[in-house]
Amino acid sequence: MAPPQALVQERLCGTCGNAITAQAWSADGEFLAMATAGGELLLLDFRAGCEELLRGERDSSLDVLGFSPDGRFLMAAGQGGELLLWEMGGTGVRPMAFDPVPLQAGWLDAAAWRPQGALLALGAGRRVRLWDGDARALREESQELERTVLSVAWSRDGQRLAAASHGEVLLWRPDDPGDLPQRCATGSAGVALGWSDQGTLLASGQLDGSLMLWPDGAAGRGWQFSGFPGKVRSLAWCDQPGRLAPLLAVASTDIAVIWSQQDRGAKGWKPEPLVLHEGRVNAVAFAPGSSLLASASSDGTVALWDGRGRLQQLLEGDGQAITCLSWRPDGRHLVAGGDQGQWWLWPVTLPPSVRSRPQPSRPPRSGGFAP
Amino acid sequence: MRSAPSLAPDRERLPVTVLTGYLGSGKTTLLNRILTHEHGLKVAVIVNEFGEVGIDNQLVIDADEEIFEMNNGCICCTVRGDLIRIIGNLMKRRDRFDHLVIETTGLADPAPVIQTFFVDEDLRDQLRLDAVVTLVDLRHVEQHWDSEEVQEQLAFADVLLLNKTDLVEAEALEAIRQRTRAINPLARVIPTCRADAAMDQILGVGAFELERALAIDPEFLASDHDHEHDDAVSSVAFIEARPMSYKKLGEWIDRLVSERGPDLFRMKGILQFEGESHRYVFQSVHMLIDSARDRPWRADEAPRTDFVIIGRDLDEPALRAAFEACVA
Repeated sequence: MAPPQALVQERLCGTCGNAITAQAWSADGEFLAMATAGGELLLLDFRAGCEELLRGERDSSLDVLGFSPDGRFLMAAGQGGELLLWEMGGTGVRPMAFDPVPLQAGWLDAAAWRPQGALLALGAGRRVRLWDGDARALREESQELERTVLSVAWSRDGQRLAAASHGEVLLWRPDDPGDLPQRCATGSAGVALGWSDQGTLLASGQLDGSLMLWPDGAAGRGWQFSGFPGKVRSLAWCDQPGRLAPLLAVASTDIAVIWSQQDRGAKGWKPEPLVLHEGRVNAVAFAPGSSLLASASSDGTVALWDGRGRLQQLLEGDGQAITCLSWRPDGRHLVAGGDQGQWWLWPVTLPPSVRSRPQPSRPPRSGGFAP
Repeated sequence: MRSAPSLAPDRERLPVTVLTGYLGSGKTTLLNRILTHEHGLKVAVIVNEFGEVGIDNQLVIDADEEIFEMNNGCICCTVRGDLIRIIGNLMKRRDRFDHLVIETTGLADPAPVIQTFFVDEDLRDQLRLDAVVTLVDLRHVEQHWDSEEVQEQLAFADVLLLNKTDLVEAEALEAIRQRTRAINPLARVIPTCRADAAMDQILGVGAFELERALAIDPEFLASDHDHEHDDAVSSVAFIEARPMSYKKLGEWIDRLVSERGPDLFRMKGILQFEGESHRYVFQSVHMLIDSARDRPWRADEAPRTDFVIIGRDLDEPALRAAFEACVA
């Protein structure tokens, strides 16, 4: 077999003062935000070609962040136990910080914006709180679980919210106060939660080394796939429809696995282990609009795979463990962060073996940050 | 269940001290001493009751005790879910501190805390348990001696601080020392006043290192210790000069742990096997077993087997008979 053509030829990079814990793109791909274990929050504004430190180093970590899909807000949270919010002012304008919202629930590390508008779900201890961008306030009502919320996920249509804790995943419709939450029992704690794009499948990566899958909009009985070498710490759905179901990638210890459904029922799911990394796989993510998968590892590499699990390219940083990664919504740029504060931005050419929908690619301009 | 060994070398893993003790035994005093002492270590502390630590320290983190049953609710498979999450986050700030101290609530069972560091793959790779330090309130311990929590905290201890010596007479101290000894002959016992133990007796103890010499209190072995208190938790120690059978002893330990795991708090052993030039070391916490082939027996030491079991409702004659049946 001829070696696959290199997908990545160049890169941008930069440095923060501490381990990078989370990265997120705005929906239009013009802004990129990064959070660190030292509490820094860095914002890159590609159109203006500048970068701004929205929050300097301090003695408390930030662990989760994200832009509201309507582009109005940026959120971050972590060790301080407060919800931090900024109003985005458009390119070249410094975002305006809101007063921090105290949650009194300890370390915050689970949050997700609804895919439409500006409604944020936030795990705060045993509750899921909602911050409403229209009211610019936390909603009074909250959903209570029996155990600490470890992960939250919205269905693609924004109708249903799922929250994982030890022993169960709770599902409910936040817009319908009369709706009784649905409880899906699990044998252990769910640490990674995700809905397929069509909203028919809900997946939960479990602490006990299993993967739970609920079919039919989570109305059906859950399937459990056991035997992973360790906790299933990260998962990602491909947004391209498959014959029966889209591809699902999960990470456990130093392997990533692509699951595909080849027949109906639980037995129809087939795993394709991607054995390459020599350290813990910390994150997996499919490129939006294609089946190109990226896996980030503590061994200091990011691997790019096609949907059948064939290695396309191995990207190397500078040796530090890669802790997180995030695809630009155009599916043509990948950013990754390291545990010593380094970040890399790679423009990615899609290989011919990867299914994709056509999409215009507009490269982020590189004004302010030379490698 | 055998705990998988960590792949990381010991010195690269962050040491963890677990602090236990009944309400009012002086945990907060000790914590404040650890945080203010000039020992050159940057210490991060996880507490369960926020606000008690009077020190302004950014590395004091509150965690809500949350037990995760990993396997059908068996005590041997319980871990502290909050620690997995909080320490997972905290380890991204690894460069900020050199030592981690976990304060448990006065009523906490130490077992899930200890098991967390052997069961969770991330914690096992990044941290190592240094010691369980238990504070005993000399003035009040008699009143709640029969509580399960107190007995478990004594049983799991590597270091026992008999605190508030200024508030009791010498005879009372001695009586309590004897009684704690009967429960736990392995722990180092240090009488303290206002928790004033030397820092090097609390931090950097290395009690969970398998290779560390098994130090059974000679008094415990010498005395035909009294059973007047009849505590539910007790200990037995066996010393055997004849070599043991590897097969028999291994099978017995496996059987013992599977049948009595929830009652066996800790076991430790240095083992001499028939036809083996090296000594073997062994320890367990409930059903988690850790063992290794250690160094060769030295010329100046008489090879022998030392074996200690700390547990609940131990039938000493039966255990002794079963142990002796494992002699090669």
